Amino acid sequence: MLELKPIINALLRSKVGAVLAILQLALTLAIVSNSLSIISERVSYLNKPTGYPEESIITFSVMSFDDKVDANQQLIVDERILKSIPGVIEAVGVSSVPLSGGGSNSGFSLTSEDDGKHTNSGHLYANEQVIRTLGVKLIEGRDFTSGDVLISSEYAKQPDVVIASKAFTDEIFGEGRGLGETIYYGGGPLKVVGIVERMTNAWPRFRNADRLIIFPMVNANGFQDFLVRTDPSLRGEVMKKIESVLLQENPNRVITNMKGLDEVKERYNSKDILMLRMLLVLITALVVVTALGIFGLTQFNISKRTKQIGTRRALGARKSAIVRYFVVENLIVCAIGLVLGTVATVFLGQKLMSLYSVPPLEVSYILITALGLIVLCIASVIFPAKKAANISPSIATRSV
Amino acid sequence: MLIMNNIGKVYQTDMVQTHALRDFNLQVNEGEFIAVTGPSGSGKTTFLNIAGMLEGYSSGQYMLDGIDVGKLNDNQRADLRNQKIGFIFQGFNLIPDLNLYENVEVPLRYRGIKAAERKRRIENCLEQVGLAGRAKHLPQQLSGGQQQRVAIARALAGEPRFLLADEPTGNLDSLMARQVMELLEQINRDGATIVMVTHDPELARRTPRNIQIVDGQVADFTLYQGKGAASQALKSQMGA
Ligand SMILES: Nc1ncnc2c1ncn2[C@@H]1O[C@H](COP(=O)(O)OP(=O)(O)OP(=O)(O)O)[C@@H](O)[C@H]1O
Ligand SMILES: [Mg+2]
Repeated sequence: MLELKPIINALLRSKVGAVLAILQLALTLAIVSNSLSIISERVSYLNKPTGYPEESIITFSVMSFDDKVDANQQLIVDERILKSIPGVIEAVGVSSVPLSGGGSNSGFSLTSEDDGKHTNSGHLYANEQVIRTLGVKLIEGRDFTSGDVLISSEYAKQPDVVIASKAFTDEIFGEGRGLGETIYYGGGPLKVVGIVERMTNAWPRFRNADRLIIFPMVNANGFQDFLVRTDPSLRGEVMKKIESVLLQENPNRVITNMKGLDEVKERYNSKDILMLRMLLVLITALVVVTALGIFGLTQFNISKRTKQIGTRRALGARKSAIVRYFVVENLIVCAIGLVLGTVATVFLGQKLMSLYSVPPLEVSYILITALGLIVLCIASVIFPAKKAANISPSIATRSV
Repeated sequence: MLIMNNIGKVYQTDMVQTHALRDFNLQVNEGEFIAVTGPSGSGKTTFLNIAGMLEGYSSGQYMLDGIDVGKLNDNQRADLRNQKIGFIFQGFNLIPDLNLYENVEVPLRYRGIKAAERKRRIENCLEQVGLAGRAKHLPQQLSGGQQQRVAIARALAGEPRFLLADEPTGNLDSLMARQVMELLEQINRDGATIVMVTHDPELARRTPRNIQIVDGQVADFTLYQGKGAASQALKSQMGA
């Protein structure tokens, strides 16, 4: 027997408790489901592969004060020294470090004339060791050869060929195309001789993070970045030796910023990680408060009606009818809260989307959170309702 | 209709055992109107609660309409209560969040009566207690006497054959008490059996049969005051 109508009428006449519960449920749904959506988007971003074996790569910078030395020659010498350290697989000087937040980004076009149509991409300079050092996977074409490499201190010059990430060639030439084609940079042609499955530029957080073009070019300067790929188990050892072997070769310089590429990435993402932790703490606290609130309110709502329960029992209510009454009442409140909450959730989601760059809220997060809240509501009512059903009907005559 | 044989009721609290009823014997016949009196704490409410199956008893036997109540489970007792017994409480015990209509409807819903039939009965009962125009009012909008009349309507709606009232006029002034009493007498004339606990000797004097409970036992029958058809029938039945 469904008692919906009198339950709803009774609820409407003693609104306060119900309204509180409804608001709390609605707010919790809105905040938790939006937070879950943001969290899962951030987690999948943080777990997105960069294309690099970050745990086996070391990066550092060399600051040089010795202007008598030819920087380009020194770079080649340094690469050779680094490679001789046991455990090092390959080493290369680079114009910037991927994932670091600092690098170059430019527009590339399909014609030599500037028709205003550009495809943006990150790019960096390095010699023919770079693909091996980065540990990326070449899926089409060939690697650089020493013949491709332009060693020059003139900024106007550029090499004839490049290797690009698939994300870039797909974007500019169309899916699956690009090998052997030519792109133009500052009016000069660059032939794509190789395509890498996946590599990330200096700004992983941004939309075009997976577009990167590598120029076979050495143009060293007084502040030179290096990448070293090692056997992952020997990376720590190698890191300790780098400074001494380089200073031994030429003491007039300083080695700085020595870290693993994984650490570079983590620093770049430190704000996201902090935000994730804070969001997790926030929604845990919110869920605990809501749970306590709903438990408390339900308990209170039931205990203040002891006499009414006794009366109902005296009038012929079975225990199951008492339990059902409170469960149904609780579910009505829960349902209203969730409907209201869904509206609030969508509204909050749109506000967040327009104010901050958060992705659109997926329905599944609302559903998951709503389901959790329904379980919470049922859990909070079932025990006090069972207790209430065991109230002796004699309370109806014993208490005045 | 009601037979209690050697009913005993013991309340156990911490150290103390209270014998609220002991060797309690009583027979109530169809159509009677009985007033129960007795000093405070003598066991009147306990008797009424056991009669209405709101409480169990510790010993003895209680037969209601030939059914041994001691052999029923909780659901069966709830259903039997719903079908046969109407309760009227000293504190009225209307449900504050429900309007008069919905209050009277409560026992009918528990019985699973269809909406149309419920409506007919509720309107009928509210009419009978003189509150037909107030169906949409909430209990707190009524005087005590009116509330008690709603409670009586609620007790009547299920058309019980047995009405139990614990000091139904205890919270009412004498005018209202008289009105309620007249209503109960009317209901009794219509065929219901009524057992009413009261402290008011004047009200007790109006009923055909009085019993007094002292120390958990029926102490004194002020038998058959010669009023009413039921007591006449009883007299002849008992060979008096
Ligand atoms: N739940 C209980 N636990 C312990 N003792 C109880 C309980 N209910 C009643 N009693 C005791 O049982 C005895 C009978 O109580 P009962 O309520 O039946 O008296 P009464 O005749 O209705 O009194 P009054 O006229 O004051 O309403 C009293 O001594 C009372 O203290
Ligand atoms: Mg009493």
